Amino acid sequence: MPLIEKVRHMPVPQRIGAVLWISFLMAIVATGVFFSALDPLALQYCVTFPEVSRMGAYTIGFLLFWLLTASSALFAVLFVYPTKND
Amino acid sequence: MSSEPSKARTAGDVSTALFEKSAKIYPREVHGLFAWLRTSAVVLLLGLFYIVCWIPWDGRQAVLFDLPARKFYIFGWTLWPQDFIYLTFMLMLAAFALFFFTTIAGRLFCGYACPQTVWTELFLAIERKVEGNRSRQMKLDQAPMSARKFRIKATKHAIWIALSLYTGFTFVAYFVPAGELARSLVHFEAGPWATFWTLFYGFATYGNAGFMREQVCKYMCPYARFQSAMFDRDTLIISYDEERGEPRGSRKAGTDYRAAGLGDCINCTMCVQVCPTGIDIRDGLQYECIGCSACIDVCDDVMQKMDYPKGLIRYTTQNAVDGKPTHILRPRVIIYGLILMTLTGLFIYSLAQRKPVELDVIRDRNQLYRETLGKIENVYTLKIINMDNHAHSYELSVDGIPNVEFILDTPRIDVDAGSVKNVPVRLRADEADLAGRSTPIEFSIEASDAAELRVTEDAKFLGPLR
Repeated sequence: MPLIEKVRHMPVPQRIGAVLWISFLMAIVATGVFFSALDPLALQYCVTFPEVSRMGAYTIGFLLFWLLTASSALFAVLFVYPTKND
Repeated sequence: MSSEPSKARTAGDVSTALFEKSAKIYPREVHGLFAWLRTSAVVLLLGLFYIVCWIPWDGRQAVLFDLPARKFYIFGWTLWPQDFIYLTFMLMLAAFALFFFTTIAGRLFCGYACPQTVWTELFLAIERKVEGNRSRQMKLDQAPMSARKFRIKATKHAIWIALSLYTGFTFVAYFVPAGELARSLVHFEAGPWATFWTLFYGFATYGNAGFMREQVCKYMCPYARFQSAMFDRDTLIISYDEERGEPRGSRKAGTDYRAAGLGDCINCTMCVQVCPTGIDIRDGLQYECIGCSACIDVCDDVMQKMDYPKGLIRYTTQNAVDGKPTHILRPRVIIYGLILMTLTGLFIYSLAQRKPVELDVIRDRNQLYRETLGKIENVYTLKIINMDNHAHSYELSVDGIPNVEFILDTPRIDVDAGSVKNVPVRLRADEADLAGRSTPIEFSIEASDAAELRVTEDAKFLGPLR
């Protein structure tokens, strides 16, 4: 079966996995690198940012990274789908 | 792993086959050598996970990734964000160890050590305790809802949820001190972030170990996809001895099955019933196989009952199956081994060389230099980070300009254990001694009680244009 057909018929858990799971791992890596280089408390001096604890900043940072990586994966999965004309 | 396009099938057939809702798998319980090994791995790994966060060390938690304070404690070590390199090292070590062991022994990690396997085993054990064995579970699921079914299912989920929440709590206890976290959770006073992560990890455990199970391995695991790149014909795999087993078929015990043209496989389908990913090992090597060796244990049992030799399904290599010699030492094993050894050596060396003190030199931004008492003066702030577990007193020295003098506010620089101190310092030098507009200099600090605690940092001394 051609690859594009396989993707079209991907089981739902596989599609969810493709979007959420790898992006989750990448978000962990990004959060780790970002916050080991930058202290969120030091960041608050430079930019206007609602006052949160470090734990809060890490959590928000992680969720934002995840949103970013997951949306990138979501579009990748969407664009692998053939258009109607294909 | 076969991707042969089947010409006979129409696209319609394929889509219905692929859209089929994946049937729930009820792995049958197994006993035997490998089942014992797997259970031991589950007990050891989960035991460590649930217990280590409670071990005290020097008045603190032995293993604590104190994110709020930006310090990692691992037994005697205190790691700072500056030590990020060690984390990178450890991840690289873990990756190459995985490559190395996969090449030699196949999916050992999947079958015995992967958190997904380990927690799924625990959840399966609970399911068996509450619902009974495989056939009872299947019967219960097929039966219409009744008070009894509801009671059994509710009990199972209650235990699963309680365990998941405790797992979530344990996970967070590696980031927030366990005792403190337990007290605050019990009194519903835990911070929103700690509560969020407890529930998040708990929910992930419940979902992954209770419901997703083998689907995680089949669809979500990146390792399952690229592990075949590390396999070669000498890698340990679990394989069915087709030559000995086929043609399979049922027979009465004690009959001369060979005369009837049958092989050793009695087609009891036990190997399929025990498989946690629901495959038939007799179809050959498949990417769904996580190498748990449950089929080996159960088939050996059957062979023993039939009085046939064991090992119809066994750990073997592709070369051995094909009747060729198996090589343990081969180029990729040697290369992975060398990389692993080099990385381990570098890691140990750099850890041994690690100095628990760091110095940053920040120039005063307001003015480049000023002239005082006929000399040129530059102002700096020294940021001294004492990453040691003891307080130290440091002595400063400056090199690079002859007869340079430095002026500190205090004669000694005392920095408490695990803290940062900013120290303003003024340097004065004769204009004649400067190399030019910018002269490179070196700041060094040395602990007065430990000469090995010495660090040097480069800086620049600015003077007038000449």
